[in-house]
Amino acid sequence: MSDPPGPPDPSGPPHPSAAPAAPAPPDPPVPPTAPSDQGWQRLDARMLLVHPVRELVRFLPVLVGLLIAGSASGGPPWQLLGVAVPIVYGIFRYLTTRFRVADGRVELSRGLLSRRVTSTPVARVRTVDLTASLIHRLLGLTTLRIGTGLASSDDGESLDLDGLPVGRAHALRAQLLRAAPVGPAATAGGDGDAGGPHAAAPTTLATFDLRWLRFAPFTATGAVVVAATVGALSQVLDSLDLWERLDVGDLAVPSFLGIALLVVGALVVLAAASVLGYLVTNGGYRLTRAAGAWHVRRGLLTTRETSIDEGRLAGVALGEPLALRLAGGRHLQAIVTGVDRSESGSSTLVPPADAGVATRVAGELLGSAVPVDARLVGHGPRAARRRWTRALLGALPVVVAAVVLAVATGWWWPVVVAVTALAATAALAADRVAGLGHVLAEGYVVVRSGSLTRRREVLGAEHVIGWNLRDTWFQRRAGLTTLVATTAGGGGSVTAPDVPEPTAVALADDAVPGLVEQFLEPVAPRPSLSA
Amino acid sequence: MWHLSAVVEGVFAVALLTGAVLLWDRVPAWTIAALAAVQVVWAVVVPRWRYLVHRWETTETAVYTQTGWWARERRIAPMSRIQTVDYAEGPVARLFGLARVTITTASAAGAISIDGLDRDTARRLVDDLTLKADAVEGDAT
Repeated sequence: MSDPPGPPDPSGPPHPSAAPAAPAPPDPPVPPTAPSDQGWQRLDARMLLVHPVRELVRFLPVLVGLLIAGSASGGPPWQLLGVAVPIVYGIFRYLTTRFRVADGRVELSRGLLSRRVTSTPVARVRTVDLTASLIHRLLGLTTLRIGTGLASSDDGESLDLDGLPVGRAHALRAQLLRAAPVGPAATAGGDGDAGGPHAAAPTTLATFDLRWLRFAPFTATGAVVVAATVGALSQVLDSLDLWERLDVGDLAVPSFLGIALLVVGALVVLAAASVLGYLVTNGGYRLTRAAGAWHVRRGLLTTRETSIDEGRLAGVALGEPLALRLAGGRHLQAIVTGVDRSESGSSTLVPPADAGVATRVAGELLGSAVPVDARLVGHGPRAARRRWTRALLGALPVVVAAVVLAVATGWWWPVVVAVTALAATAALAADRVAGLGHVLAEGYVVVRSGSLTRRREVLGAEHVIGWNLRDTWFQRRAGLTTLVATTAGGGGSVTAPDVPEPTAVALADDAVPGLVEQFLEPVAPRPSLSA
Repeated sequence: MWHLSAVVEGVFAVALLTGAVLLWDRVPAWTIAALAAVQVVWAVVVPRWRYLVHRWETTETAVYTQTGWWARERRIAPMSRIQTVDYAEGPVARLFGLARVTITTASAAGAISIDGLDRDTARRLVDDLTLKADAVEGDAT
């Protein structure tokens, strides 16, 4: 999707002879019949150790089955053959996988029976990821993944060079990123001072801090883990009829205490687990800048190194979800042209960390702290009213049900539930109102919204590739509209909900001059539609 | 065209409910009448409303559409960011000699679709847009 006008990537010519000669760029004509065979490189020979181990693991169920069958029939040779198959497979994989960087293209050829050659222009390389699992690290190897912003990140299509010596991988990465120029017209931005003072020596922007561990329990994943475990626990209790037994106990104090202890214990365990998880994924985190690209390195066991081409950095998203915000933390993600948000692993710039660190890094990434710190323009009282009505309407069913229940049965606790629900939604609405805002600062569109999952998204105006204005009947009545700036990276869009209509148009017009203004006169011609 | 689509959908929904009534005794028969009434109103009102809302316009540098009925959406995409231009004729649209032109950009949220153009206009639009989009350098991201 994000690659078209150039030559389409021949992502898998089924026939070997069709190798890399597909619609080649206007380079010196390569004779299509004889794709120059020089320059092909193998992966590192040490992969001969990695592949068999991995294949063994993958084939483990089959092997176990074979072993059982073998011992049943009593023929030892068969079992040995079963072990040999994955090893041979691994060797063949090593022998048939080759890659090269030539004629401005990266080419990867693999497969024994059905051979596929993946090829992409070096100029299209957007990110380079180095991932090293534990086995890889023991052997001094790493996996190099080339991100080209392909819409279908299907396994067969991705450019993974699994098993390069670390030194060679670094050299290749530098070569790929240096050779990838910023798109001339569309992507060239004001922030593309590549080759500037930072070009030579890598500068470190942020490194891992053990104190960040305190944010681990407040992250979304932590909350999810907690919720899931609590749910599972209550289900276990349910199935053991513990709830009923406890109820029968006439609200005995010991049982209450027991539950409380259990809950506290579970929370402690979960917090520890989330801290551990945080440590494993983010340990050794380091964000550096070198040679016109940002490098993020993290991971305690499996290390991940992501490099983002500077010109492709369309903006950043400062995540400030409620729990993390209360704990004084933030996390930072990159909005990279051609990289989907779903590949979140490669877009994390700062893991949940001190707010100060995240905002400072964001400012340095953008070249200016103004878009990150700038006061946002609120969306006015009507947008606020919408937040309130929505929150209170959401709480209404709970309240009504509770009141009905209270009246019908005479119990007092439904009232408590209703009051709690009201208070919670009111707090949520107030927070959502406070969070809503936008501003245009130094060529960046800044938008913030949400409460539980609040994000402050900063998108370079030159990376906006279109505007959507969406309004329902209710919104139109209130004179509000939802302004969506579409972009080629991140979630594909940056959304500002409930902006007053004139403000929205003004913002869109200021951010991308000349685009919206030509449609401002409401004289759109009636198209010939049939009813 | 939208009328016909709505009618088809309505008939299908009513048929589904009738089946439900026949299968379970629990579902009362009057719901069929209610649903049918709703569907008739829907089929009459919504397509008209939709038709009144729908607009499209292209200039030298951008495409602009307005679609929807209850929730209205206006989309603007500059020519320089157009990635592909699709032309499609659905089964119902073919009955009326109509076509749909879809213009995609590099963003997952930026596809612009112009529904219910007559074939000639649609073809001309496709050619026009393709030429204009082609004239711009860069990879449109």
